[in-house]
Amino acid sequence: MESIEVLVAHIQGLSRSPDEVSHLHSLLKQSEDALRSHAARLAPFLSQLDPSIHTLGYLFLLEAYSSGSISGEEASGFLLTVVEFINSCSAEQIQLAPEKFISVCKSFKDQVMQLGVPMQGIAPLWMAVRKLQTSTEQLTTLHSDYLLLCLLAKCYKAGLSILDDDIFEVDHPRDHFLYCYYGGMINIGLKRFEKALACLHNVVTAPMTTLNAICVEAYKKYILVSLILNGQVPSFPKYTSSAAHRNLKNYTQPYVDLANFYASGKFSELEACIQTNQEKFLSDSNLGLVKQVLSSLYKRNIQRLTQTYLTLSLQDIANVAQLNNPKEAEMHVLQMIQDGEIFATINQKDGMVSFHEDPEQYKSCGMTEHIDFSIQRLMALSKKLSSLDDNLSCDPQYLSKVGKERQKFDFDEFDSVSHKFM
Amino acid sequence: MDLSPIQKDLASKCYSAVADTCDDLMLKLASRGIRYQDEWPFAIHLLGHVFANDLNSARFLWKSIPLEIKESRPEIAAVWKIGQCLWTRDYAGVYDAIRGFDWSAEITAMVVAFSENYTKKMFQMLNSAYSTISVTDVAHFLGMSEDRAIDYALQHGWKLDSSCKMVIVKKPKTVTERKLDPSKLQRLTEYVFHLEH
Repeated sequence: MESIEVLVAHIQGLSRSPDEVSHLHSLLKQSEDALRSHAARLAPFLSQLDPSIHTLGYLFLLEAYSSGSISGEEASGFLLTVVEFINSCSAEQIQLAPEKFISVCKSFKDQVMQLGVPMQGIAPLWMAVRKLQTSTEQLTTLHSDYLLLCLLAKCYKAGLSILDDDIFEVDHPRDHFLYCYYGGMINIGLKRFEKALACLHNVVTAPMTTLNAICVEAYKKYILVSLILNGQVPSFPKYTSSAAHRNLKNYTQPYVDLANFYASGKFSELEACIQTNQEKFLSDSNLGLVKQVLSSLYKRNIQRLTQTYLTLSLQDIANVAQLNNPKEAEMHVLQMIQDGEIFATINQKDGMVSFHEDPEQYKSCGMTEHIDFSIQRLMALSKKLSSLDDNLSCDPQYLSKVGKERQKFDFDEFDSVSHKFM
Repeated sequence: MDLSPIQKDLASKCYSAVADTCDDLMLKLASRGIRYQDEWPFAIHLLGHVFANDLNSARFLWKSIPLEIKESRPEIAAVWKIGQCLWTRDYAGVYDAIRGFDWSAEITAMVVAFSENYTKKMFQMLNSAYSTISVTDVAHFLGMSEDRAIDYALQHGWKLDSSCKMVIVKKPKTVTERKLDPSKLQRLTEYVFHLEH
C-alpha cells in the first residue's frame, strides 16, 4: 500500500510538462504489477487525482482497478468514474498509453452491457473514440464497441456521427470486420440501404485467408439488402478473397435460394420459399429484412412495367403486380412516386397511369454543386491512393520480393531495383 | 433536470431542431446514470422526430419508452398515433390523429405547425402524382371538407370539372437556377489539371 501512496505522490508531482510526463510514464510501467495486485483497493486513491491534469497516472490506476473483478455495488460507481474520466481526460496523455485506455473502455462497455444500460455508454464512448483517434480517418478498436452500444440501445441515429467519417487507416483487421458489419446493421435500421450495401460489401470483399463468422452473417444481409435495393445480387468482384469466393454460398444456402426465387418474379413461389426457411431466417434475426424483400417484389414488378409501357390502366397494373384491385394499385404507385422510385402521373378520370422519363436534366445549380462536390471527393481519394502507392513502392519488404522475382526472368534488362534489397 | 435547450427550440419555433436537441440531451443524462425517464418530455421528443419525417427514429424511441410511462401519459400515445399513420401511409388518419386529442399548452404550437406543414406536403404530392383526381380524394388527402378542398385547389390554380366531380391538376412552373459564376472556372481548371497529371 505504501508503494501506491508513493506512486500517487509521483503522479501529482510529475504531471506538468511533457518531459515530466514521460518520466512518470516509465515509473508507472515499472509499477504495473504492484498496481494489479492491489486492484480492489485502488478506488480511494483515484479521488486524490484530477483526471484532467493527472490523466496518465489516473489511467494506469483505473486500468488496474478495472482489470480486477468489480462487485455489483461498485459497478455503478465505476461507470460514473469512467464517464467522468473520459469527459475530462487530456487526449495527449491518452495517446501515450492507448492500449490502457482501450482496456478501460472495454471494461466500461462490458459493465454497461452486463447492467443492461447500453444507452449510458453511448455519449462517453463517442468522446472516447474522438480522444483516441489521431485523426477522423483512423479506425480504432472502440469504433465497433460504440456502434454495438448504439445497436443495443436502439439509438441508431447516434451511430451516424461516427459512421459518416471516411476511414483510411485500419490498425487491426478484426476492427474493420466488426465496424463494417455493425455499420451495415445501423444503416439497415435507418433504411439507408445504399450505405448499408457499401458497408456489407466491405466485409464480404475484405482480404482474409479463412472465412469468419462475421463475413458469413454479413453476406446473408448483403443478399437481402441487394434484393431490396436492386432486385438482384451482384457476383463477387475480382478483388474478393478466394476463401470468400469458394465458401460463402455454402454457408448461406437458404438466402441464395431466396434470391433465385426473387429473380423469377412470382410472389407465390417467393412466399413458399420464405415459409420453408422461416426458422432459419428467424434464428439469424433476419426475418424482418426478409419480409421487406417480399414487399419489394411488388415495386420491382411495377418498375419493370415502366420499361415497356408509356401508359397503362390501373387494372392492368393490379393484374401484373398481383394486387387485389385498381385502388390498391393506385396506392402502390402513389407511394412509389412519393419515394421517388418511379416517375408517373395518375389520371383518376380515365383510371390510367402515364409513365415519364426522369425529369432531371442535370443543368440546375443544385445539381452542378452536387457533381462538383463528388468530383472534389474523387480527386482527394485519387491523391490518397497515389501517395499510398508511392509509400508502398518504397517499402523494403515489397522491393525485396519484387527484386527476387525479377531475377528469374530478365538478366539483361536494366534492373532498377538496387541489389541492396535482394 | 435542465431541459432549457429544448424549451429554447420550442420558444423560437425551431421545430426541426427539436429532435437532435432531445437526442443529445437524453444521451448526456443517460451517461450520468440519471433516471431521466419520469420527467423526460417524450411527447415533444417523439413529435420532433415526426416533424423531421424521421419515422425510423420515432419508432425506436417509442419502443424504448417504459410501459408505465406510456400508460400514464396519454399524450405520448396520441403523438405516436400520428407517427403510426405516417408510417402506414394512412394519409387521412394523420388528420384524425391530430384532431382527435386535446393537446397540452406546451405542445399545441408544434402540433399546429406540423399540421400546416403536412397539408402543404400532401398538396405537393398530389400535384406531382396526379393529372386528374376526384374531389372526394382531394378532401381525403387534405383532411378538409369537400367544399374547402375545392376552394383550396382552385386557389392554387387547379380547375374543377363539376360534371364528374374531378379536379384537373395544374403543375406549378418550377424555376431552376442555371446561372454560372466565375468560381466555377477555377474549379474546372483544377479538374483539368488533376486529369492531366
